[in-house]
Amino acid sequence: MYRFPEGLYVDVRIEETYETKISFKKTALQQQKVRSNKGAFIRVFDGDRWYYSSITDISRVQESIDILAGMARPNPDINNHPIVKEFEVNTGTVLNFSERSVTDIPVEEKQALLEGYLHLLDRPEVVHHTSYYVDNKTIKSIYSSKGTAVTFDKQTCGIRLSLDMACGDKKDKGTVSKAAIYFDELKNLCGFFSEQVEKNIQFVREAEPVEPGIYPVLMGPEATGVFTHESFGHKSESDFMVGDETMKAEWALGKTIGQDLLTIIDDGTVSGNGYTPFDDEGTRGKKTYIIKNGKLTGRLHSTATSAALEEPLTGNARAVSFEFEPIVRMTTTYIEKGDRPLKDIIAEMDKGIFIDTVKHGSGMSTFTIAPARAYKIENGKITKPVKVSVVTGNVFETLAEVDAVSEEFELLSFVGGGCGKMEQFPLPVGFGGPYTRVKRLSVQ
Amino acid sequence: MDKEFITIRQKETAVKVQNTRINAVRTKDIVKKGVRVYKDGKIGISGAVGDLPDDVLIENAVKNLSTNIEYPYKLSGDRKDHRCYNENPMTGEDLLKYSEDILAVLRRDYPEFDFSESISTTEVQWNMKNTAGLDLEYRDAIIYLGLILKEKKSANLFDGFLMYFGRSLDMDKFWAFNRDYLAAYNNSVPLPEGDVLPVFTFQFNELLGFLANCLNGERYAVGSSIFSGKLNEQLFNDKIVLKQNMDPIYTAEPFFDMEGTVLENDSYTLIDKGRLTGVFTDKRSADMYNLPHTGAASGGYDDMPMLQGAPLRFDVDSEDIKKALGGRPALLVAVSSGGDFTADGSFAAPVQVGFLFDGERIIGKVPEFTMSSHLNKMLGEDYIGTFENKHLYLGEGLTLQGFNMKITK
Repeated sequence: MYRFPEGLYVDVRIEETYETKISFKKTALQQQKVRSNKGAFIRVFDGDRWYYSSITDISRVQESIDILAGMARPNPDINNHPIVKEFEVNTGTVLNFSERSVTDIPVEEKQALLEGYLHLLDRPEVVHHTSYYVDNKTIKSIYSSKGTAVTFDKQTCGIRLSLDMACGDKKDKGTVSKAAIYFDELKNLCGFFSEQVEKNIQFVREAEPVEPGIYPVLMGPEATGVFTHESFGHKSESDFMVGDETMKAEWALGKTIGQDLLTIIDDGTVSGNGYTPFDDEGTRGKKTYIIKNGKLTGRLHSTATSAALEEPLTGNARAVSFEFEPIVRMTTTYIEKGDRPLKDIIAEMDKGIFIDTVKHGSGMSTFTIAPARAYKIENGKITKPVKVSVVTGNVFETLAEVDAVSEEFELLSFVGGGCGKMEQFPLPVGFGGPYTRVKRLSVQ
Repeated sequence: MDKEFITIRQKETAVKVQNTRINAVRTKDIVKKGVRVYKDGKIGISGAVGDLPDDVLIENAVKNLSTNIEYPYKLSGDRKDHRCYNENPMTGEDLLKYSEDILAVLRRDYPEFDFSESISTTEVQWNMKNTAGLDLEYRDAIIYLGLILKEKKSANLFDGFLMYFGRSLDMDKFWAFNRDYLAAYNNSVPLPEGDVLPVFTFQFNELLGFLANCLNGERYAVGSSIFSGKLNEQLFNDKIVLKQNMDPIYTAEPFFDMEGTVLENDSYTLIDKGRLTGVFTDKRSADMYNLPHTGAASGGYDDMPMLQGAPLRFDVDSEDIKKALGGRPALLVAVSSGGDFTADGSFAAPVQVGFLFDGERIIGKVPEFTMSSHLNKMLGEDYIGTFENKHLYLGEGLTLQGFNMKITK
């Protein structure tokens, strides 16, 4: 298909995206947009340096290969370079969404679906609302000079209702959303959306400022997902570890960093926002146990980090779009479910905080979670809503403080937004898990 | 039928850095086009990545008119305004040379650190034209240096950044500042005594984001802003002037909004001497809620223009940090990630990297801490001032802003 110059490793990623975005402000249609785009990202490697190009004119792929090759220094032994040797060679086509494709649903039907939920927001406390239907279908093709030739697709859709609420002097914003793979899954959700809207209104009406301090914190699946992603997921991205002996020692495989009940997995084969049948280097998606029964057992890799750290490929080289190179990113990352009923875990808590939903999180040495809805736990019961700015914990200590995980379990995807890593934002990822209790976290 | 065309061209060369060495060079050549058509008070939109012919995009936009989205507002027109903010962009070759030089110094003089991520030069050109006589052009070229700093002895993911954002890079100033900055990393100092300390920031995104929510004209009008009903009231310290500021010098974004509005002096005052004097609006919200139009429409190149956020900027209101401190030790926030405001204005944020600061120089690195306050205190009795950044070579147009904050170790 392409002429790959001698003495160089080359790969080409072509992305075709189809997106719908429909929005209402209150009941007035604001936007109904269907966008189809194509772009390409080309990489050339001479064993010393990579050369990348991102273009929107697909007819210029060969020209771009040749230009990049002109910048590189051909290396006759390139195929024996550790990184080049590490590349998986995969061929084939995995198109799972040719049927039930969002591209086959008329845009009017999508608009009608969203419009059908707007009456649920007709509440005096909801003084304004903006509602969205979004979908995305992306078909990627990856070709490499080693012989990889794969084509695969992924698809997501979702509804997000953004609420501006006011109950007298008490004001807040809230979001209710549902992500799905197939359009049909977004139908018949009045019960779900009603319940979530009610919870948001109740929160605005009743929430009081939290008394800052150290608390045991119980996290719901959404908060558990963000906690896992921020407190540990980013540390498992091994590009941070290449050439860093201190990090390698601190996060040595086999080290015990949590209790037996703690198992953390990253799995690119799970449906949802993190679905990655092949990563953006053409490596097949995999299920990776990062922590198993409290012990560090794996890390997430691109081909370059896999070669550098001499650990197996995991299929985690992902780019946010055709404008960027693949870097090590999570796919769907979660804590494995436990065997204790949620009610038993709550019943044994005299005092604590329950985080139900989350606005955002971050992860450095101190990780953070900014709750959207949080509640007090008193005498074994979830009681009053509390306003919390931020919950923080130390990355190096907190995993050992996880002392309960529930048998109830849910995987989720956000509608809009995603994970940010330096210039690449937002990358769709999946997350979630059981209800998870941490013995001590700082609540402000 | 009126037609409107938005074209964005972006050319970038980026040097990607790993372990203080260049490991990749990336080039981008991206074109994005959006077309809007206006007919009988309705608007239709279309767009594409790539240089698609206008007639194809017009045809798609005409089809989009069937959505019957109302847009009964007068088009911005009869204005030609072409501006270039950097006539001498750094070339890709120069970028490579500068990058090699910087990294060589870092490897030689600072072996205790590891640096990664990127240094780039990006040329952008935005054009917005319509059949009502609008012809706006914004050209610019920005150098962005964003290197993650990692102390080799540390098990953290990263321990800070070297950064620069601007249109030219003065290497003497770069090294004069960054040598002090890196030396401070090697000088651990304790947090000063006291529960409330002066804290200075140069990029307070949480504060600007919270204020943008409060000053959104739509939210103000429907009553969901905590400022609702307070127009013309004194809200904050009487030094404070906050503007919707579209000046590309500060934003590196077009001087016009996504409805082609150009503001006088590229700005609109929202808080004047602490008094709430306005909220930001696009044409739709200004009309719907009978508010002054401030030209704050945003959206992507192929989106319907709509009101979301606006670029806000505090005016410099104070002159000398050292004098304002009166000998008190202050803290400078270098990295604070993950903090937030509650809906009623309470604020808390961890500071992952902070320095002891005398108002001019960074003295030493302090342990991690948490800062907290409330919007009304931060911009009221605990507001120290917004200062021109004279000493920290971090980028063009940055200011330093100081508040007395509660500190938790």
